[in-house]
Amino acid sequence: MASYLIRRLAMLPFVALGVTLLLFALLQLLSPEMRASLYVKDPRQLSALESVIETYHLRDPFPVQYWTWLKQILVGDLGYSETARMPVAEAIKAFFPATFELALTAFVPTLLVGIWLGTKAAVYQDRPLDHFSRFIAITGYSLPSFVLGLLLLMIFYGRFNILPPGRFSLEADLFIHSANFTPFTGFLLLDSLLNGKLWIFWDALKHLILPAATLFYNSVALLTRITRSSMLEEIHKDYVRTARAKGVEESDVINKHARKNALIPVITSSSLLLVGLLGGVVITETIFNYPGIGRWGVNAAQQLDIAGIMGFALVSATLFVLGNLAADLLYAFVDPRVRLK
Amino acid sequence: MKKLTLTAALFLLSSCGNPQPGEPTAIKNPDTYTYLTISDLDSLDPAWSYDTASHLVIFNVYEPLLGYKGSSTEELVPVIASQVPSTTNGLISPDGLTYTFPIRPGVAFQDGTPLTPEDVKYSLMRFLLQDRAGGPSSLLLEPILGYSSTRDDRGRVMEKAFQEANSRLQVQGDNLVIEIPEPYAPLLSILATWAPSISKQWAISHGDWDGTESTWKEYNNPQKESSYLFEHMNGTGPFMLERWDKKNKEIVLLRNENYWQEPALLRRVMIKGVNEFTTRKLMLSAGDADTISVERSQLSQLRGIPGVAIIDDLPTITMSPVVFFTFHINPVGNPHIGSGKLDGKGVPPDFFSDVDVRKGFAYALDYEAFIQDVYQGKGTQATGCIPKTLPGHDPNAPHYNHDLKRAEEHFKQAWGGQVWEKGFHFTLTYNEGNTTRQTLCQILKVNVEKLNPRFKIDLRPVQWSTYLSASQKKMLPMFTLGWAADFPDAHNFVFPMLHSRGNYPAQQGYKNPEIDRLVEQAIAETDPGKRKELYSTILALAYQDVPHLVVLDTVDLRVQRDWVKGWYHNPVLPDSAGGGDFYPIYKEATEM
Repeated sequence: MASYLIRRLAMLPFVALGVTLLLFALLQLLSPEMRASLYVKDPRQLSALESVIETYHLRDPFPVQYWTWLKQILVGDLGYSETARMPVAEAIKAFFPATFELALTAFVPTLLVGIWLGTKAAVYQDRPLDHFSRFIAITGYSLPSFVLGLLLLMIFYGRFNILPPGRFSLEADLFIHSANFTPFTGFLLLDSLLNGKLWIFWDALKHLILPAATLFYNSVALLTRITRSSMLEEIHKDYVRTARAKGVEESDVINKHARKNALIPVITSSSLLLVGLLGGVVITETIFNYPGIGRWGVNAAQQLDIAGIMGFALVSATLFVLGNLAADLLYAFVDPRVRLK
Repeated sequence: MKKLTLTAALFLLSSCGNPQPGEPTAIKNPDTYTYLTISDLDSLDPAWSYDTASHLVIFNVYEPLLGYKGSSTEELVPVIASQVPSTTNGLISPDGLTYTFPIRPGVAFQDGTPLTPEDVKYSLMRFLLQDRAGGPSSLLLEPILGYSSTRDDRGRVMEKAFQEANSRLQVQGDNLVIEIPEPYAPLLSILATWAPSISKQWAISHGDWDGTESTWKEYNNPQKESSYLFEHMNGTGPFMLERWDKKNKEIVLLRNENYWQEPALLRRVMIKGVNEFTTRKLMLSAGDADTISVERSQLSQLRGIPGVAIIDDLPTITMSPVVFFTFHINPVGNPHIGSGKLDGKGVPPDFFSDVDVRKGFAYALDYEAFIQDVYQGKGTQATGCIPKTLPGHDPNAPHYNHDLKRAEEHFKQAWGGQVWEKGFHFTLTYNEGNTTRQTLCQILKVNVEKLNPRFKIDLRPVQWSTYLSASQKKMLPMFTLGWAADFPDAHNFVFPMLHSRGNYPAQQGYKNPEIDRLVEQAIAETDPGKRKELYSTILALAYQDVPHLVVLDTVDLRVQRDWVKGWYHNPVLPDSAGGGDFYPIYKEATEM
C-alpha cells in the first residue's frame, strides 16, 4: 500500500505541471494585451498594460513566458480579477470556503442516501422501494437545478418565509463583520463554532439547506442508479451465492461481501461528483445568490476577465487532480488487486 | 381520514406566513433599509465618480453646499452653506458674477474634525483640478473657469488652471466666495448635488493632493483606484460608510450619530447587488428587502404581492436607454471587434465613423416595438436627447423611424459598398442585469441581421463597474447606457451627449465643432426663446450626425414595501426611484 501511495503521489506534480502547460498553451491564443491582466498585482497597472507586457516577457517565446508565469503562480500570484475587484488569489480565498461548505453539505447526505438507497433498490429489485428509487432517479435527472432551485425557493422562502437565499441573514451579516467576530478560517460554519456563536451556525445552516437540497436531489439520482446496477451485478455472482450457502447472515452478505465490491464504480463517480460540486455550482449559486466560486467563475467568463477565468480553471484542475488521487487511493483501500499491480 | 389529514396539512401550509386582514405586518429589520440593485459601485471618490450607483452613496455620506427642497427641482435649501445666495440677500452680486456662500458653523466630519471654509475650497479645487477624463469636473469647470477641461486638445495639462481656480475660489472670513467669468444660471443647481465637502486634512494625511500648485498636475486625470478616497469616506452627511464588501457586492451605511442636524431615522442602509430578478422579487415579498430595482417589463410579476406597493408615473429627467457608437475604437487587446478589419469577421476601429453605418443602425431599430413591448406603451419616442420635462425639448425635432428599406440603402452606401458586400461582426454590450437594455440590444440585433446574412452582432452583458471602465477606454464598439440629470437644464443633456468634451463624446471620439460652438453659445444665452432655438438647431445637427440613438421619453417607477415611509421623489437626486435621499426614510407598520 505504501509503495502504491508513493507512486501515486510522485505522479502528482507531473500531472499538475501538465495541466498548467495545457492551460497556458490555450492562453496563447489571446493577444498579449489580453493576457497582461494575469500579471497585474494592483488595479492601477490595468491602465499601463504595455509596461506589464514588457516586464513579463509577453512577446517572448513560449518557454520564457511559461517559466515566468509558473514562477508567479508558485508563489500564489495569479493576477488581478476585474470582476471580483481583487487579486485572483484573494478572490479564491474569499469565494472557495462558501462553495466548500455548500458542496460538503450536499455531498455527505448524497453519499449516504445514494449508497443506502441504491443497495436497497438492488436487494428489493422490482419491489416498491426499487420503484421509489427509480422515481427519485428520474425526477432528479429530469428536474434541472434552475427549476428545482426556484421551486424550492418559492415554496420555502416565498410562501413560508423560512430558508432564505444568500449566505447569512442581515443580523448575522452585521455581527460577522463586527469586531466581536473573528473569521479564523473563512468557513462560516466552523468560524461560528470557534467563536462560540451557535445562532450564527444555525443561521448559516438555514441558508445552506435549500441550495444543498437542490444539489442533493440532482446528484443522489446518479449515485443511487450506479450503486443499484453495480450491486445487482455483484449479488448475482457466485461468491455471494457461496456465502449464502455457507449460511452467512443476509445482512453480512449484502453489506460486507457484495457492497464492498460494488463500491468501485461508486467511488469513481462520487469523487467526480465532489470535484464538480467543489468546482462551483454555477446555476444553484446564482439562483440562491450564494457568493461561491462558481458564481465568480461564470461572471469572469462572461466579462472576459482572463485572470479570473485562469484562476478558476486552475482551481478546477487542481480539484480534479486531487479528486482523482483520492479516488485512486480509495480503490486501493477497497480492492487489494489495485495495490498489487 | 388520510384525505382529511392531507387537506388540513395543505391548509396549514397555505395559511402559514401570511398576515390576516386587520393584523399589522411585522416589519423585518425595522431600523435597516435594504435596497437590492443590479449595479455595483464604481468609486466612492466624489471628484471621480460620475455614475448613479456611486453617486447615490456619495450623496448620503458627503454634503454639498446646497440641496433641493423636497421634490422641487427648482427651490434650493442651504446645506453646508448657511444661506442660499441670491441677488435679494446680496450674496450674488448684481452682475451675477460673484457668489458668496457663508459656511455653516458647527458642522463636523465623521472623524470629528470641524468643517472649515478652507475644506470647502479644497473640495471644490480638487473637484475642478482632478478632472479625470469623462468625469464630473466639467460640470463646474465650465461655469467657474469658463472651459470644460484642464487639458488641451492634445491632452496636455494647462498650467493656468490651478491659478485661475485658486483666484476664483476665495476664503473670506467664514465665507467661500466664487467668482465666475460669465453669468451662468444653473451654477447653484449644480452645487446642490455636486462637489461635496471633504476634509482637507484627512485627504492629505492619506496621500491625496496637498492643495498646492507644485503637485496638482500629479493628481490630474488619475486612475480610479489611486486615491484613498476610492474606497474610504469621511463626510459630514447623515450616514457613514460602514463597509464596502466587494465580494458580496454590498455596501452598508451606518447612521452618523453626530450629524449636525437630527440623526437619521434609519440606523443602517444596505445596498446589495442581486442580479437575479426572481431572487430580488422573493426577498421583497418576504420583507428582507425594502425596495428593489425593477424594469417595467418585470412589473406585472410584482402586482398583487401583499405588503408591496408600486409607485408609478414618477416624472424623470433622464434619457435612457441610449445606444452609443464609438467612432475610434481602441483595438488593443479588444475582444469585441473580431478580426479588427472589414472582412466580415470583425469591424475596423473606425467602423462607426462612417455616417451611413450609423444611419443604417438608426433606421434598423424598431422603436415602436420596444416602446410597446418593453414599456407597455408607457412613453413616447424621444425626439432628440433633451427629455420632454426640460425647457429646450423640441417635440418636432427630426428623428429616425423604423424603416428597413432605408437602413438597407445606407448600409449599401457605407464604406463604399464594402459593408454590404463583406458584412461585419462585433459585440454589442449592455450592463448586466438590465433587461430593458438587453431587450433593446436584441431588437436591434434581430433587425440588423435580418438585412444581410453577413451582418453578425453578438450580445454580451458586462458588470457595471467593468462596463464603465471599458467604455471609457473606448473598448466597446457600440454600447447602451443612459443619462440622468445632474441638474435640471437642457445643457446637462446636450453637453454630456453632444459636446466633444462631454462625457459620452469624449468616450466615443465624436466631435462636431459646430455643435460644440452652439452648445457653448446656448448656455451663455439668457433669452429663453433664443436658447430654445439654439437647442432645436443642435438637435437637427445631431440628427444628421447620429452619434447615438435615443429611444424613448418615459416615466419612472418604484417598488417598495408599504412599511417604508418618508421617501420622496426628486428626479434630480441620484437613483431617486431606488433610494435618493435616505435621510427622511423610516419604517413603520401599516394596518392591513
